[in-house]
Amino acid sequence: MTTPTVDGDFDPYMTAILANRIDGIIREMTNTLLRAARSGVINSARDFSCSICTGGNELLASAEGLPIHIFGSHMQARTMTENAGASLREGDCYLHNDPYSGNSHAGDHTFLVPVFIDGEHLFTTVAKAHQADIGNALPTTYMAGARDQYEEGALIFPAVRIQSDYRMVDDVVRMCRARIRVPDQWYGDFLAGIGSARIGERRLKELCAKYGKPVIKAFMRHWMRYAEQRMLAAIKTLPAVTLTNTGAHDPFGSLLPDGIPLRASVAIDPEQGYIDVDLRDNPDNVACGFNQSEACARASVMAGIFNSIDADVPRNSGSFSRIRIHIRQGSVCGGPVFPSSCSLATTNVSDRMVNIVQASFAQIGDGWGLAEGGVGMGAGCAVVSGGDPRLGGAAFVNQLFLTNSGGPASARADGWVTYGLPVAAGLMYRDSVEIDELKHPIEVSHLRLVPDTAGAGRFRGAPSMEVGYIARCPRMEVIWPCDGTHFPAAGARGGLAGACAEHRLVRADGAVEPLPNIVVLTLSEGEKVEGRHASGGGYGRPSERDPARVLHDVLEGWESPQRARDVYCVALTGSVEAGDLSVDLAQTQRLRAAVTV
Amino acid sequence: MGFKISVDTGGTFTDVVVSDARGELTIGKALTTPARIFDGMRGAIASAAEQRGISFADLLAGTDLLIYGTTRATNAIVTKRVAKTAFLTTSGFPDTLVLKEGGKFRPHDFSRDYPEPYIPRRHVFEIDERVNAQGAVLRALDHAQARRSLERVRDQGFEAVAVCLLWSILNPAHEEALGTLIEEVLPGVPYSLSSRLIPIMREYRRASATAIDASLKPLMQQHLRELELDLAAAGYRGNIFVCTAAGGCNSIAALVERPIFTIGSGPALAPVAGITYSRMEGLGENVIVCDTGGTTFDVGVIRDGALTFNRDTWLGPRYTGDLLGIAAVDMRSIGAGGGSIAWIDDGGLMHVGPQSAGAEPGPACYGRGGTLPTLSDAAAVLGYFDPDYFLGGRMTLDVAAARTAMQDVAARLGLSIAETAWRILTLAGDLMMRAIADVTINEGINPRESTIVAGGGAAGLNIMLIAKELGCDHVVLPKTAAALSAAGMQYADIVAEEVGSFYSLSDRFDFARVNALLDALEARVLEMRGKLPDQTGEIELEFFGEARYQAQVWELDTPFPDTKLPSRRFRSQSDLDAYVANFHDLHERIFAVKDPGSAVETVSWKVRLTVKLEAPPTLHHALASGEAPVVSGHRDCFFGGSAAVRTPIYKSSGLRPGHLVQGPGIIEEPNTTLVVYPGMSAQVSSAGHYRLNIQ
Repeated sequence: MTTPTVDGDFDPYMTAILANRIDGIIREMTNTLLRAARSGVINSARDFSCSICTGGNELLASAEGLPIHIFGSHMQARTMTENAGASLREGDCYLHNDPYSGNSHAGDHTFLVPVFIDGEHLFTTVAKAHQADIGNALPTTYMAGARDQYEEGALIFPAVRIQSDYRMVDDVVRMCRARIRVPDQWYGDFLAGIGSARIGERRLKELCAKYGKPVIKAFMRHWMRYAEQRMLAAIKTLPAVTLTNTGAHDPFGSLLPDGIPLRASVAIDPEQGYIDVDLRDNPDNVACGFNQSEACARASVMAGIFNSIDADVPRNSGSFSRIRIHIRQGSVCGGPVFPSSCSLATTNVSDRMVNIVQASFAQIGDGWGLAEGGVGMGAGCAVVSGGDPRLGGAAFVNQLFLTNSGGPASARADGWVTYGLPVAAGLMYRDSVEIDELKHPIEVSHLRLVPDTAGAGRFRGAPSMEVGYIARCPRMEVIWPCDGTHFPAAGARGGLAGACAEHRLVRADGAVEPLPNIVVLTLSEGEKVEGRHASGGGYGRPSERDPARVLHDVLEGWESPQRARDVYCVALTGSVEAGDLSVDLAQTQRLRAAVTV
Repeated sequence: MGFKISVDTGGTFTDVVVSDARGELTIGKALTTPARIFDGMRGAIASAAEQRGISFADLLAGTDLLIYGTTRATNAIVTKRVAKTAFLTTSGFPDTLVLKEGGKFRPHDFSRDYPEPYIPRRHVFEIDERVNAQGAVLRALDHAQARRSLERVRDQGFEAVAVCLLWSILNPAHEEALGTLIEEVLPGVPYSLSSRLIPIMREYRRASATAIDASLKPLMQQHLRELELDLAAAGYRGNIFVCTAAGGCNSIAALVERPIFTIGSGPALAPVAGITYSRMEGLGENVIVCDTGGTTFDVGVIRDGALTFNRDTWLGPRYTGDLLGIAAVDMRSIGAGGGSIAWIDDGGLMHVGPQSAGAEPGPACYGRGGTLPTLSDAAAVLGYFDPDYFLGGRMTLDVAAARTAMQDVAARLGLSIAETAWRILTLAGDLMMRAIADVTINEGINPRESTIVAGGGAAGLNIMLIAKELGCDHVVLPKTAAALSAAGMQYADIVAEEVGSFYSLSDRFDFARVNALLDALEARVLEMRGKLPDQTGEIELEFFGEARYQAQVWELDTPFPDTKLPSRRFRSQSDLDAYVANFHDLHERIFAVKDPGSAVETVSWKVRLTVKLEAPPTLHHALASGEAPVVSGHRDCFFGGSAAVRTPIYKSSGLRPGHLVQGPGIIEEPNTTLVVYPGMSAQVSSAGHYRLNIQ
């Protein structure tokens, strides 16, 4: 049952105390960033993550950070130490957003503060926040159509010093102000990011002063080792098997008429306690924004594996060391060759890769793995920009988070309704309709769940959500890089696929035009976009679903009586309105007996 | 003035505190009787009467004021016994209560179903209407459609109606019209309108609060009226006030209208006890209040003499429970208490909690079949409890069972039973320390500059260790520690608030409309005051804005305090400048940064009325001089070392004001045990409280 820890001096008590302290420090960093930030994408949607790395550039702890954000922060810390070399000093702070040296994508600004204890670089505190704007050619941080990084147009910071001796390097601030849209909003977020990393620095210094450097260093070793042991124990519960699974990103206009076919092979070795994931058999870099950065490729695989094992294994370099990921230079999956664009690295292909890996575990047998989760950031997650006539035409740019894709079913539960995306795993917040109407000149026409859209199964996926909004300004740019309008979230073990996403434009005169998955659009006053997000896939055959769950779904309007009968093979009598809806067990048994196995 | 009785009906115990005109306080306790609350209340009051040597009837007849804190509403929600409630909302937005605000814990855990909404989807009725973000009517209310919907509500036998329309906070006309229609179509069916109950922005917060409020109305109306009758039948002729989540109390009539404010109202009064006792001891206006119970550790702060409020209080777990939405006294709770279980995970790491042995079977030392080691078991093993005189002799402890329960963990740690127990005690203390740090350090409060006031049955076990870890020098364990919330009620005032939403930017400030709103809010609270039964106490009016920097829309992970208005109205630019300066100062204090160049936006405005109730006077006793406290015996106790320390035991009956107990020592109160650790000391103050010296 238990795996003894290897280190003879492991102290279960002191390690628990210090882990508790480190967790508290990251919570304080998170809190600082959340509450001081200005843009909705950070402070309403929680699209940011804080973590602490060791001086040796390993990820020590990450609390509740977004899976896609936190797996790479140690790579960024390494870039910082390598670039700065001997000039790395107390009082420094670095800005990093370079997807070629450890960052997720250019849209995530990462603030790194090296923490010195008695002259020794013992930690790096890391605060990463998705920006509302980074000065791209178009007002969005997701440049789907960019041929390469040059065409994206963002300022790139490969660990650039922005503070020295705790004082701002104003040149960098001036560069950003000269390029980034709505610079005051950016500057507020910038200060919040630095403040977060600095709070972490201050608290780590206090921690070291209290317990002494030797105790803290021993803790860092023990905590890594502990996480590794937990991962080892998790891997040992798995069978020795190699799982191969495939999937694909949607087509993109004439550029990618067939989409991007994707593949991962997952070799589990419980004997030695390793999982090897091979991503090398994937297409070459694409001439648009969909290439995964190395950090995102690794993060998406890790997320897929963590979704399929004991959910309490700590996420740090100790547990990661048991997962070996093989990447081919030049591949769309984590091997970008400069200047390939990684603008959408955190979402599109990464979302698919999380799905491919977690669903591969379902091949082991019933009870393992997950179905695929809904993918795609459509109309409800568009980046909108323009001038707000209510504020004298003042500029605005921000990403909306009104609707989400539906979560995947597992072997034990239905999909999570506010799942968002595979890479976000339900952690992000949703916007309030009222706040979004206040902050942007839009009028939301509807926002609701759509019945009969869930991927059916013994456990079903979460249903689709739909939304519509009207521009209430003369010109509003609306940009989104959706996936999932062609290829739905697949079901697992006989579960059905979810529904695809779809979008349309409603002209002021009521004329309706379909919209593609990837949209760069200018709305005039009174024009509306409508979108339906993808739903999650089901797990297990629908005809095996507990009839009591089907009854509840019909009562609550998640599923229609028709689908209950046709898809779930459950016969109902009575009606919702009359309050006497119930399962006709005899008829249900007949229906289910007729299903060929 | 006669007696004043405060009653805190908790889940397990009903605590009563009785005060008299001299300032003498008596605690009474009895088991809570959920079927008829008055039975438990009678038992607890009778127990206090007995200690005072008078009859229950005489005590009640001689009482002027009874203050009642209740978990009735919370229990009704937890046990799903609230009214069948219809939810009316803007057409096109039926899923506000399902979708909530997103977010979850444990990103890799897919083993749980998404939570059910507070009101089932089939009880949602979409109403054709729409108001926009400027308060203008985009789509007029379709009265015919609304009437048809309400007729369905009537025909389906709904018992309450909640109404929350988009932007009703800027233009409540449609909600008001629906209220009129409800009265016509469903006469006598209680309803709540979001624009009246909680006019704040963000539709989910408002919808959730309104749904909860409406669903409680039939039940709380009945409960409070019933209690009134029961008390009258028992001979009570004084006034009854009910505690509110706003940290005060109000009339039964006011709370029947807004029953949501009774949720969490008991714990909301603990901070009132905290600030009262800190002042009584001359320890200042910044206080940390902790309440250690059997399963949870609750903590709150008082800053500059003012309670702190939070709109982010959840019934059930954060994100997946139901948001209260109202500004409630900020008491945070973690799963750590006397019943918290110690365990070792498969990676070898030690944990205490969040699992709890609860009341049944309880800790192993209770001898009711518990086999897992808890914090209480650790204290028993360490010798801190008298096994034959636990809880004033009401229970006998099985220390051998506690030692047996600890064997597995001790073996995994490779330590003795006593060393293991010490680690359980201190790891639990560390988690509690972190909970305090979260509400202080995270919000710019230095715990070293605050006074800790500790209460709850298990507080005395480790509060001195927690205080040492935080660097706090000022710690008070009040004489009424075992009934901290009921004690707080003795010092509570009548508090009523009215909130109105009006979005105002400081660089284009609409003086006239803001002032008009403040006029209306002030008129509403004063009208409420006019309805209070014979209250002549002094009143205070305070004015606040919920402000932030332009475009700074934080999610309220931790509360940002409201900004106080420097004057009752904005008469001139200088009033506005002073208000904006208040905000900058507040922001700097909490976040260590300010941005004087940025405009300040205010989303809502609040008027708070406080009507002072007469509090019991503080009774100071002459300090004992020269004589040492009476040692009632000795026990072998452990304080982290492997060897036992022969430790003097003191009974509260042998301690008098002025007495100093030098650690190591154990002080046994009838309802709690105080451990004075080696090198620390405790002194009884002139008011009878324990002042704990950490150094």
